[in-house]
Amino acid sequence: MSANDILDVLNISRDEPPKKKQRNESTPQTQQPQLTGMARELYNLIGPNTPPLQLSSNNYTKTSIKDKINFKPSPWTKMEFNPKKRAREEDGLKLYHWTKGSKEFLESAEEVNKPYFFEKFNVNLSIPELVDEETYDKFMEEIQEHERKEKERKLLELKERERERQEKEKEKEKERQKAEAKKEEARKKQEAKEKEDQKKKDDKDKPEVVDIKKEDDKPEEKEKSDEKTEEDKADDQTEAREKSASKEQEAKQDEPIEDEELEWTYEETNYLFELCKAFELKWPIIYDRYNYNNVRTCEDLKEHFYRLCIKILQSKRDSSQSSLIESLKAYSKPREIERKQYLENLLKRTPAEIAEEESLVIEARRFELAAKKMLIERSNLLTLLDSPQSTQNSSQYQSSQGLANLYNNLMIFDKHQKKKQAQQLQLQQQKASEPIPPPIPMAASSSFKKDKVFQTHLQQYLSSLLKQNVHTNPAIKQEASAIQQMLSKRLTQKEEEAYGLHYHGNEKLTPGVVLRSTQKLPSLNQKQSTLKSVNQVLQELDIPTGGGTAWKPVMPTRKTMSRYDELIRTVVALLEVKKAKDKLESEINLIKSQRGML
Amino acid sequence: MSSGGNTTTVYGGDEISAIILDPGSYNTRIGYAGDDFPKVTTSSFYGQVGNGKRIFGEDINVPRENCEIKPILKDSIITDWDAAIDQYKYYFEDTLKVDYKDQPVLITEPIWTELPYRQKLIETFYETFDFAGLYLAKAPTCISFQQGRPNCLVVDLGHDTVSVTPVIDGICLIKNSMRTNYGGRFLNDEIKDFVKSRDPKIAVEPTYKIKTKTPTVYPDPAEYTVKKTIPTTTESFNKFQQQRIWHEFKETALEVPERKLNSTNPQQALSIKEFYSQDSQKRLFEFPTGQSITLGLERFQFAESIFDPKIYKFSDENIAKAYPPNNGEIKISSHYNEYRPLKRIRKPESNQSTPAPGEGDDSSEKIRGLSHLITHTLSTIDIDLRASVAHNIIVTGGVSLIPQLIERLYNELSNSNPGLKIRLHAVGNSSERVNQAWIGGSVLASLGTFHQMWVTKHEYNEAGADRILNQRFR
Repeated sequence: MSANDILDVLNISRDEPPKKKQRNESTPQTQQPQLTGMARELYNLIGPNTPPLQLSSNNYTKTSIKDKINFKPSPWTKMEFNPKKRAREEDGLKLYHWTKGSKEFLESAEEVNKPYFFEKFNVNLSIPELVDEETYDKFMEEIQEHERKEKERKLLELKERERERQEKEKEKEKERQKAEAKKEEARKKQEAKEKEDQKKKDDKDKPEVVDIKKEDDKPEEKEKSDEKTEEDKADDQTEAREKSASKEQEAKQDEPIEDEELEWTYEETNYLFELCKAFELKWPIIYDRYNYNNVRTCEDLKEHFYRLCIKILQSKRDSSQSSLIESLKAYSKPREIERKQYLENLLKRTPAEIAEEESLVIEARRFELAAKKMLIERSNLLTLLDSPQSTQNSSQYQSSQGLANLYNNLMIFDKHQKKKQAQQLQLQQQKASEPIPPPIPMAASSSFKKDKVFQTHLQQYLSSLLKQNVHTNPAIKQEASAIQQMLSKRLTQKEEEAYGLHYHGNEKLTPGVVLRSTQKLPSLNQKQSTLKSVNQVLQELDIPTGGGTAWKPVMPTRKTMSRYDELIRTVVALLEVKKAKDKLESEINLIKSQRGML
Repeated sequence: MSSGGNTTTVYGGDEISAIILDPGSYNTRIGYAGDDFPKVTTSSFYGQVGNGKRIFGEDINVPRENCEIKPILKDSIITDWDAAIDQYKYYFEDTLKVDYKDQPVLITEPIWTELPYRQKLIETFYETFDFAGLYLAKAPTCISFQQGRPNCLVVDLGHDTVSVTPVIDGICLIKNSMRTNYGGRFLNDEIKDFVKSRDPKIAVEPTYKIKTKTPTVYPDPAEYTVKKTIPTTTESFNKFQQQRIWHEFKETALEVPERKLNSTNPQQALSIKEFYSQDSQKRLFEFPTGQSITLGLERFQFAESIFDPKIYKFSDENIAKAYPPNNGEIKISSHYNEYRPLKRIRKPESNQSTPAPGEGDDSSEKIRGLSHLITHTLSTIDIDLRASVAHNIIVTGGVSLIPQLIERLYNELSNSNPGLKIRLHAVGNSSERVNQAWIGGSVLASLGTFHQMWVTKHEYNEAGADRILNQRFR
């Protein structure tokens, strides 16, 4: 809305012709910065002087117009080109495309001789050339020989393994017996035994070493390192074989027949190599286009190609190719077939099976989550219970011996925890991917509970309470001072009581005279909420209290005071136990209801 | 547009405006590479008038005396060579005004072409037209290029044929491909058979004959008057015009049912049939005479026959004979028959991990519907490729435009391949879906890297047809 509109609405007519003014005003207008948005709206309201549309002269400077007039389109020329310029002899292919640049420029010798831009994308795989027929025959003989030997060796090895395993078992049996016998003996001999074990192991290793040597003697030309890796592979294979014994037996029966039946002629191999080159080792396509009289599987083609490539590369004695040879050797046809079979089976699952599997996974995850949640809750709870209790008589740690005790306890506790942590670390490494539940607090583990040395603070506290029934504190009693000793020699316990004698031991005493009635009971260092519930319990038990938080026995003798203190502590302990029990019960209920839901 | 100097272009294109020729069994498409759509989309039929002159394009629909309408191609393979050459010449020279020397030509071919046919094709092209270069591209390869998916399964629902071809790295796997003839023509014949058997009195008159018409609904008789001054046309012309009616029928009335109509559970089958016979599912189809026919379950049954070809029983024996049971396997002689030493043929191995199509339990299957065809193809593909191929199934061709077909296909494939994640890609634009192979060819021929693939006549003469076909046009 401009000022004009407002004037119109208010029926205010303007006396002077606006045209003139506009012209006058418009010249300074151009210098003003162009306003946008709100600012412009406001500006429009000022008066009729501002034109609603501003012409910015920036776009129409003299130079810019001149530029436009003088603009010359860059030249494009339709040029003839040969996309295969670099590759080989002229085959006369002439195509035309538009190229930026003048004709003269593009026809200069330099430009003409430039290779076609997209020519560089035409790259080929370098595949070993197939050798001539003679060497091929030699290679094939070697391969067959090698394979036969490999097979024999595998059989042998299988037997060897069987025997070894039996031996091992026997040895283990022996060891076990020995160990049992030795356990009864003193532990000093342990080191000696270890040495013996070592020896035994060495003995075990020896036959294998011999094996390898034998193996090395058999094939004529191979390097030892190669042979060893080969053997490792074979070992793996035999292991796999042991697992699926029945299947393997079938395969073994098939293999020799197969090899004899489908002999690779030089021509067919040549055909294969050509296909590999043409289709750049894209095996599915090579297999698709493979059209020879023999019916072969994709795996057959791969195996033959790879084993020949190994031979060809080896014959070249190029050390830089050794890693390539290694990777080529890694191909194993039976394993490949087995792998594909497994994949096939995986795909053949019915929808019901898949759904079941999925639901199981989901359920497992839910369980995991629930367990995790529960563990967190429990650990929270236990840390709550485990936290150093302020009510506990700190005086037991005030003597040097008490401190030493505490220190020892803590040290052992720490050691234990470190062990646990190490175990957990191991566990974590074992199953790194799985979600790790929070570490179980020491007190929660059952082994910890069983351990007598490690009681929870609660237990310690309770036991100490029991002990206090007899004597205020064992630590203090041990630390009896000389005066106390002297007095206790002279006086009987009854007399001590009668005289109102009390040994403070190492208790810290406030200097000066203190009335017992004003003394604050140590057990009263509690939370307000717990005190409240303690109060309730006390009322239930009809125990007179001083009222408020400053409960005092009516007659604050030392005995009643200590008893009272004891009482309050036990009540607090009771309440805490009850609280813990309630929490555990609700937890159990929760889990039960969850199970019910599942 | 750009070449050496301009290297910033991302798509690596270099337009040389090559000619793309995509002969299909219903329509033939011709145009320039780099275009979105072919310049010429013409019928793959031609009219031959009395003096031997051939008529192409829309002109064949003009009623003339002694004008025989004949097909040029069958199953995307040229059968009438003279007519084909004539047609291409007509479009190249008269319509597009191509200067052969200036640009090369890319021709799409189906995967089931035999070696002699290919030899003849390139020979004819080199002899007749003087293109700067030539390339034969397989249609599924072009379609994979159109979608930019190097690994995919191309499901082409064409007029003559339905084919399923796995494409790996842009190269078709021929051994795994399948083809049936339960395509558009099959549907046309079903409709024709249905209308004829329903009531022979239903007048099926082509549009050009009708002067006036009054809308009626069957069983009321048609009310129309016929033009008086029409030349006496040949039978093949009339048949062709009738085909156009069936074609329209197919395009307008058919819909694929959501579930199988022939359920194994009889009660369920009944309820499904009842559902599709409801009034809300009924549609009218109006013949050129103004007479409409009400279609209920039938229109679903026709579409269902894409998935289950047995569902419609032809009442006309002759038509039924044209569609023998077809399980989709292709017998192709090798493109690579250079090396064929005489040797005894061995028995195939028992433990094949990549079995040739047709082996195993499926061999008993005589007739394969679309989803069976795809499932079978998937099951024959190498296990390592299966997942990626199943995730990239491209559905193309005119028949795929029947409503609900993609949804139904997805459901059936997901059910029959629970272990695979099926994803279907069908272009939303209908004209794009019909011309997909041509568009793919257009993409291919405008790539800068592709220009090294053209084969000149010089190279052809030097290397010979065999070598060119085996090594260049694979």
